[in-house]
Amino acid sequence: MPGPLLAAALFAPAANRSDLLLRLFASVVLSAVLLMLAHKFLRRRGRRVLIVAVTFLGGLLFTLEYFWPTHLVKGRQVNFLTDWIEPATIALSIIGAFTVGLGVHSLTQVHGRLLLRRRPGWHNSLAFFISMVAMFVLVLWDFSAKAKPSAAGVLPFHNAVYEILFNGIYQPLIAATFSLLAFYIASAAYRAFRIRSAEAALMMAAAFIVMLAQVPLGAWLTHGIPQAGPLGYLGFFRLERLGDWIMKSWNSPAQRGITFGVAVGALAMSLRIWLSLERGTFFSQQPEASVEGNSAGSATES
Amino acid sequence: MSQTASPSLWQRLQQIPRGYVYALLAAVVVWQLVWPIRLPIAPSTPTDGVFDAIRAVPNDKLIIISADWDASTQAETGPQTTAIMHAIFRAKRKFALLNLATPAGVKLANDRAVAVAKQYGARYGVDWCNWGYKYGGSNVVIGLAKNIQAAIQIDHDNTPVGKLPMMAGVKDVHDIGLVIEVSGSQMTELWLQFFQGTYGTPLANAVTAVMAPGYYPYLDSHQLQGMLVGAKGAAEMEALLRSPGQGYAIMSAQSWAHVLILLLIVVGNLGYLLARKGERR
Repeated sequence: MPGPLLAAALFAPAANRSDLLLRLFASVVLSAVLLMLAHKFLRRRGRRVLIVAVTFLGGLLFTLEYFWPTHLVKGRQVNFLTDWIEPATIALSIIGAFTVGLGVHSLTQVHGRLLLRRRPGWHNSLAFFISMVAMFVLVLWDFSAKAKPSAAGVLPFHNAVYEILFNGIYQPLIAATFSLLAFYIASAAYRAFRIRSAEAALMMAAAFIVMLAQVPLGAWLTHGIPQAGPLGYLGFFRLERLGDWIMKSWNSPAQRGITFGVAVGALAMSLRIWLSLERGTFFSQQPEASVEGNSAGSATES
Repeated sequence: MSQTASPSLWQRLQQIPRGYVYALLAAVVVWQLVWPIRLPIAPSTPTDGVFDAIRAVPNDKLIIISADWDASTQAETGPQTTAIMHAIFRAKRKFALLNLATPAGVKLANDRAVAVAKQYGARYGVDWCNWGYKYGGSNVVIGLAKNIQAAIQIDHDNTPVGKLPMMAGVKDVHDIGLVIEVSGSQMTELWLQFFQGTYGTPLANAVTAVMAPGYYPYLDSHQLQGMLVGAKGAAEMEALLRSPGQGYAIMSAQSWAHVLILLLIVVGNLGYLLARKGERR
């Protein structure tokens, strides 16, 4: 079976539920075996070589596919690597999804330790576990049951509890946390914004105009300035037009410059990561002991 | 031991306790939410752009609302999403909701869609649908352009999208008339790179006010058809639709909150300049 076809068969959507479960089981077992083998037999150098090689090959595939000359097949511009792009992106998505598990594992470890040792703030860790488990169970329950409200509009129990947790607790908590920013911004603007130089004065003038132009009050304050007639040229001094002028004529070129600068920086950074030249990539900043495992660690200590 | 002199009036003007600033701001916001002073709202050019882009979508094409927001930014993105949905239903077009960044936001946008659809008698699967959260960011956008049903597969309710009546004939990027990205993050870039930039599909966005300055260059280059800027953008869209809603209500509070912040800055600087003048003497 040619490579792309094999890849397409492997990454194609499951035909039915049992096929999906079989694939999931096989993938988990295979991944676990591969990880265990890699962990057991690969030392620091070996692990590094493996990661550097996978990173380089992944980058090479996308780069080559983009730059390699293409020919027309069934209305699509393709080359010999095009068929590999979709399986590679799916694999990338799957690897990315594993980071969610990594996050849960890390949070569980940190909060579990705090809770078991009754460290200060342990009650926050307890709240974390209760919230995580409650939402996890209820969402899975909801997902599998897919129950609908009764004719009287009464929600099933799990659905009602989920609504209370999501709409009644989660949503207001997140919104309240972010709304606190408005208070910090108001306080910070009052404390930090001082006209200590000509540049600061310019910045303040621009801030005043843009802030007022962003709200209807600004437009109302200068609505008396004519926009037409012999004095129509004065319309430029209406706050909404001044604000628009600052955003388009001053902010826009500055943003464009920043975008170019960031893009060049990102290109250089991507190249360094692709070629594993970046300092701190993978294991280069880790001490030998933490990579080699306990035996090596105890050897270093002794 | 030197005795500390009590601060002068000018110094005290620079050191209003943080708690007073917070209390003043809270009071102003509550005052305007309860007793709003309504001021006329004139739509800006970027908002006109979004409104016109929706009306310019051919009847047989779908609009994607990529609602990549959650509770954190919903004060701005929520009213924006609602106003956009109203504009789409008023123009008798169809839309699909999508979420590429914030799984927790799917329900929030869906609740708004259900409420707006009810007002227009719009039916799920016929006039609008919710593709739900799709993991993969750029991969999903690239996949959508080539084969929508393969990239989305199932909707928010686990129904295969191919079974939704409105999806009949919707195959790839050529069946999409407009993409509107609503978010408090830089998700617009994905659509700019892999959809608008590659296939020329019209694109508009609705972002939080703090994100907006970064997108003006794309308005200049006409890569973005229009932009809703924060709650003001939502209020302007409501003004265009002649149906004041949440955006309008927020703008009164935001207007006076801005005035308060500017007044505080003036007071702080007055204290600073007068104190400095006193020191020179």
